[in-house]
Amino acid sequence: MGVIRAEPVRVTDWAAKSVGAAWRAFDLQLTTFAGLLVAIGLVMAYTNSVENGVSPLDAGTTFTRGLMWAGIAAVTFILATAFDYRWFKTLSWPVYGLQLGLLGLTLLIGDGVGGSARWINIGPLTFQFSELAKILMIIVLAQYLASRQLKLDSLRTILGACVLVGPPLVLVMLQPDLGTSLVFAAILAGMLWMSGASLLWLGALAAGVVAMIPIAWTYILRDYQKERLTSFLNPTPDITGSGYQLYQSQIAVGSGGWFGRGLTNGTQAQGDFLPVQTTDFVFSVLAEELGFIGGVVLFVLFALLLWRVLVAGWRSRDPFGTMFAAGVASMVLFQLVVNVGMVMGIMPITGIPLPFVTHGGASLVSMAIGLGILQSINIRQTRAEW
Amino acid sequence: MNTALDRSTIPDRRFSRYLVFSLIVVLSVGTLTARMFYLQIANGTEYSAISTRQRTVLEAIPAPRGLIYDRNGRLLVDNVPTFAVKIRPADLPNTQRDAVVARLAALLSTDPSEINAAIDGNLGSAFDLVRVAQDVDQSTAQLISEAGYDLPGVEVAVEARRRYTDGPLMSQLLGYTGPVSAEQLPDLRAKGYLPDDLLGKMGLEAQYETELRGTYGSESVARDATGRRTQVLQTVQDAVPGASLTLTIDTRAQKEAEKALKWAMQKIGMTRGVVIAMNPQTGEILAMVSLPTYDNNKFARGISAADYAKLLKNKDKPLLNHAIQAHYAPGSTYKLVAGTGALADRKITPATRVMTKPFLKLGDTKFWEWNHRGWGGCDIYCGFGHSSDTFFYQLAGMLGIDRLGYWAKQYGFGEPTGVDLPSEVAGIVPTNEWKQDALGSEIFPGETYQAGIGQGYDAVTPLQLINAYAALANGGTLYQPQIVRDIVGPDGTVIRPFAPKVLHKLKVKSNVLRVMRNAARSTVTLRHTYNLVDLPIKVAGKSGTAEFGRPDAQGRLPYSSFFVGFTPKDPVNGSFDNHDSKLVVMAFAYDSRTKGNAATEIVKYFFQLHYGIKKDYRLPALLERGNFYSQD
Repeated sequence: MGVIRAEPVRVTDWAAKSVGAAWRAFDLQLTTFAGLLVAIGLVMAYTNSVENGVSPLDAGTTFTRGLMWAGIAAVTFILATAFDYRWFKTLSWPVYGLQLGLLGLTLLIGDGVGGSARWINIGPLTFQFSELAKILMIIVLAQYLASRQLKLDSLRTILGACVLVGPPLVLVMLQPDLGTSLVFAAILAGMLWMSGASLLWLGALAAGVVAMIPIAWTYILRDYQKERLTSFLNPTPDITGSGYQLYQSQIAVGSGGWFGRGLTNGTQAQGDFLPVQTTDFVFSVLAEELGFIGGVVLFVLFALLLWRVLVAGWRSRDPFGTMFAAGVASMVLFQLVVNVGMVMGIMPITGIPLPFVTHGGASLVSMAIGLGILQSINIRQTRAEW
Repeated sequence: MNTALDRSTIPDRRFSRYLVFSLIVVLSVGTLTARMFYLQIANGTEYSAISTRQRTVLEAIPAPRGLIYDRNGRLLVDNVPTFAVKIRPADLPNTQRDAVVARLAALLSTDPSEINAAIDGNLGSAFDLVRVAQDVDQSTAQLISEAGYDLPGVEVAVEARRRYTDGPLMSQLLGYTGPVSAEQLPDLRAKGYLPDDLLGKMGLEAQYETELRGTYGSESVARDATGRRTQVLQTVQDAVPGASLTLTIDTRAQKEAEKALKWAMQKIGMTRGVVIAMNPQTGEILAMVSLPTYDNNKFARGISAADYAKLLKNKDKPLLNHAIQAHYAPGSTYKLVAGTGALADRKITPATRVMTKPFLKLGDTKFWEWNHRGWGGCDIYCGFGHSSDTFFYQLAGMLGIDRLGYWAKQYGFGEPTGVDLPSEVAGIVPTNEWKQDALGSEIFPGETYQAGIGQGYDAVTPLQLINAYAALANGGTLYQPQIVRDIVGPDGTVIRPFAPKVLHKLKVKSNVLRVMRNAARSTVTLRHTYNLVDLPIKVAGKSGTAEFGRPDAQGRLPYSSFFVGFTPKDPVNGSFDNHDSKLVVMAFAYDSRTKGNAATEIVKYFFQLHYGIKKDYRLPALLERGNFYSQD
């Protein structure tokens, strides 16, 4: 293969403990872009916390809780960076077991809206384990695909990956959480693609999925899920029913203009015309209050972040690292496109958070773990042994 | 480690896969940016406009409704602030409707079905407010306001509610306001009414709706998604309060009239009656009582369906002002018409004696004198004074039905008086033409006899009757009865001062009316009206008994009684030669069936109360109930 490794190896051995060298391998840009995205999320949390008579700085507001989660995420990030990711190779099956266990537990004791089971209450906090499950899924898949580096042209590799993703996907569907299941599928697709698996078999798999759609539509999807999936296609949505969110969020985005109405000045947001504006529809608040420019800044930050994630994968000599980066990139890209696309009316409504920006502890901490592992991969590259 | 990285076996696909993935990233972000550009820049103006439109609404500023006073400045109607609960259907998401309605019903302690009915009965668009409860007490209103975010689309509004000082005493006159109906809305919309508006439905509230309502203003208001007003942006137009009304009604006289009527009704066990008092010199109505009545405050508070149904079901029709909205056979009070006509047409002179008999025969039919005896030869004073039926059969015969009809119309019968109250009926004056139109045949001679004594086809409203006697009392001017004196603008200036309205002058010489006034006095002096002559004031008048309905087992018909009386300007020393009377009073006792004339007792009691006569001349024995033959 030869041409792949152009740059010099920086860290030969973690045991050699060249902290300076390790620090040089740590991707500061990646961390910076992620931090800026988190900061944007906090700004949105702040503007969403401004309400008559309540200071955003009071305990319990979206903003202060966001700050707290950002702190937890930072610590998690550092711990994940320090953790030697190579343990995951040996611990792959236990990780898989943990993933299934958390999702099963959620189904058993989880709470949610209207009979669903989405999150678990831990003391005063709630935690959505399906967010963490995405990262665990990436770990498991990365180890699997790395272990089959030599058999990428075999159908068994692809089928094996599908079999691994199957159980967690079903558990998430049962919650029911259509959005997260789709993220699992996207992670699988992205990682298979990046693994270099045979185009022929990938094509066959894609064709199979497409063929499954009518069956899934008839037997698996619930009515409200179908309604949400199709309401964006409807040119005259029922603005008092399922199309209401979409209609209001498009108005919000549309009324932002070049520079937006200014933080805390969005009439759509502050007038509560926007539903779930702190979580799934947070981008509409951003677009209304910060305008086109704000939106472009966000997109550029995401593009830069994805670039750094891909670079980490490219540099990794360890196939696990490459695969892990591919999984994270697939997940972030998919969530970005589906979430923002939904807010702007070009994607169906699915409850998928915007990474880093959406208010929610589980999502943020999971992203911190993901990026921490990436940094761990960055700073623990072994010299190629050829 | 990393033995898997055997470069000879790794398919060299990394570059192409990274390239494609990167392209997907660029394409995705590009698409999102393009879409954002499309929404924010290309169509931004439009979306901004929608955003502004859905957040700002032009809301009406209701004008304070005009007040109503009696002739002495006593406040009869004012406005008090109350809380109303309203829903803007557009802001109530369908998915939450059941929950919100249930919650609201619990807070208001009503049934969810009533709230649903109000929402479904919404006349306006989904963006117009629908009133689901009114006159909500303050603590409930506060609870609902504070539950704001759990009750999307629900608003608590402060509204003015009408407060009727005397309730049932004046309900028939003042009427009430109520919600705009579906049929009215299209017309009213153009005049600036809102779908949840209130307007006058009955009585003066309806008659003077335009004056009382004033002109609504408007303001543009910012609101949030749940429809709550967040701020008033701008007053577009100020509201102009409605004009106030000063009535001709004297609350004291009204109370006296009600007291007199209630006394007799209770004594007799009678269910329906009317008392009216007027100033015959101007047509001003001083008192007008129609019983049974209702409490218009119940309507102001939003009457329940059950209470309303009860009012509608009552056979005595409490919602009807029987003084003007129903007509009855007038009985002998109508003899005024034949008497005046015969004198004016020179069929008789004041000295002409007409033979009264036990009965008159027309073919095989006997037309009985009411006492089955008669009084022998009688002049007009004797005939009118004893209320002789045979006397007036003959006068009616001399005049003929059409001439009798002419004089009835001279007195204002057969068409509405034009009083400023809604839904007045015309009554019936039978003539050949009328009968041809209505029944397809000519009047028979016997019907002319009946018409002469206020039976048969004759039908009058109590107000027409008193107005005819007012014309007699004032010397021949038929005025339009009026109930509103002045209309006063919000700034206190009189917009429309009071002026008597003459309908016409009776085409009769004044001495004819003088004779008829003295004939009416003889009714009293001949003790046809029992002890009315003993009162320390001078009263002239005429009683009447009118049969109606179906005969009982003995062939006797139920009957109602009337009395109309008036006093000279100087009630103690005055003379009925003059036409200076300031007070004419009538009473109508429906289905009274008493030994004596119940209406006379009512008017007598009213005079006692009104003139402060200490001694009680009432004769309760006359009010004994039973089916007696009528004695006019």
